[in-house]
Amino acid sequence: MLTRCSTKCELRNPYVDYCVSQSYLNLLTSDPSYLCFSFSLLRKIIKFVSILKVLMGPRWKGKGSEAKALQNPMSKTISDLQSSLIKSNSEGILSGSSVLLATNPDQTDLLNQSCFGRPIITVDKDKQWFQLTLEEAFYLSFSLNCIKIVTGDSITKTNKELWDYMISKRVNFPDFFKTYSHLRSKNWVVRSGCQYGVDFVAYCHHPSLVHSQYGVLVFSDENRNRNGNGNGNGNDRLRVWSDFQCTLRLSGSVAKTLLILYVNKNGESGFDSLSCLENFSVEERTITRWNPERCREDQFVVEDCNK
Amino acid sequence: MRFFTTWSLIFLFRKDISKARWKQELGMAEIISNKGRMWTTTGIVVGGKLYSFLEDILFLAEIGALHLLDDEDKCIPLEDIYKKVAEGVGGSSWESFEVYRHLKSLGYIIKRHGVCWSIKRAKSEKSTSLTQVTELFSNIKINEVSKIPVFDVYPPNSNGNPPTKKQIEDLEGQYEGILLKFCYVEHGRISFFSFNQIELPVLI
Repeated sequence: MLTRCSTKCELRNPYVDYCVSQSYLNLLTSDPSYLCFSFSLLRKIIKFVSILKVLMGPRWKGKGSEAKALQNPMSKTISDLQSSLIKSNSEGILSGSSVLLATNPDQTDLLNQSCFGRPIITVDKDKQWFQLTLEEAFYLSFSLNCIKIVTGDSITKTNKELWDYMISKRVNFPDFFKTYSHLRSKNWVVRSGCQYGVDFVAYCHHPSLVHSQYGVLVFSDENRNRNGNGNGNGNDRLRVWSDFQCTLRLSGSVAKTLLILYVNKNGESGFDSLSCLENFSVEERTITRWNPERCREDQFVVEDCNK
Repeated sequence: MRFFTTWSLIFLFRKDISKARWKQELGMAEIISNKGRMWTTTGIVVGGKLYSFLEDILFLAEIGALHLLDDEDKCIPLEDIYKKVAEGVGGSSWESFEVYRHLKSLGYIIKRHGVCWSIKRAKSEKSTSLTQVTELFSNIKINEVSKIPVFDVYPPNSNGNPPTKKQIEDLEGQYEGILLKFCYVEHGRISFFSFNQIELPVLI
């Protein structure tokens, strides 16, 4: 049975993972008295598993999408992108809260396939311009080490300078970046979630092939509650129950599971420093509604074969 | 919708390419040859010459309708124009440009707030006012003949947080009579919001 309470679950390979309750498995495999179940029960189980697959697994768009995704793993695309950008000594222009990057045709394809940035339409025939968010740009620059970032004066910024600049643009940039890089390092595709009222949306492959499964909210360590007005979660989101209702409802309407990523600073005191980033850890929790009328988790009704 | 409009503009301007010379000291460009009807509603006339802010220049350069030249009449590439915006030349910013481009592609006439459309005498202090960092864009619907702005756009990401009731009231008081739209730009997505004071009717 799908556990539909607020439980800790680790993001695993979505292709193989379904949360099937132990009770079902035990009943079917261990106790001989249940071996003589009726066909109607078998039908119920098959129907349940198919529903479960729809609910828990990725929702692929059209036939062949899943196969295409398996043939083109995201890790390879990103690795190719990394090599290509390093080879061409690519530089991004830091402008406001964005970074502008010019790419050659190969890099354009790779950026599009790996979903970094948004293309800018220009008449420039030689290059395609992309607009990257601060998280995307910093990930390419710091984590993948494949682009440099320059100012309008063509001065290259060091990672430390970039870090300070990005924090000045957004105070909780460290948390956002940690969660972004956490998801990306697991080869999930991460895009902005502002359309859906969440911080990010996570896809298991390219958005053209699959619908996003998770709407992600970023929560910081409770000790980082700067303004003193937030709740024990150290953030301004989901402060009261109506916030939960609202966000869950919205996520449900767009068929996404609400995923909260808690960033723990693990005792780091200078949490604004770049070197502390590697000591942060991320905990994953989903919030889902549990409907007692629909699922009977601990009550398993079996048709008595003796009837 | 914006992409479709921008592409149609690109095709429109294939042959009519205007030329402008970048004036570093002003942080603006002087329009040398203006082709097309857009110059009736873009730019500022100062002492008989037409000048344009960086966002007008970049918008037109992106769609191939303008060549920006330096002092030696060499064409400044798009990359360098992006760098000027990154530096904040002439009070520009990337987020402001995104809003400008979005609205301009939809056909709105956009001006910087508080800047005169034409200044007859080119005094030095007037040049300073041209490059003043101004708070708002004024938007005018393209079909309107009169030049009274229809609404003002509050600058993108000015505070980081949505405006409080007090801030909204202060702004409404300051720009009385002009409708206000509040603009939020995140990750390339532009959202506009209106906070309208209403009075609900008493129902039977």
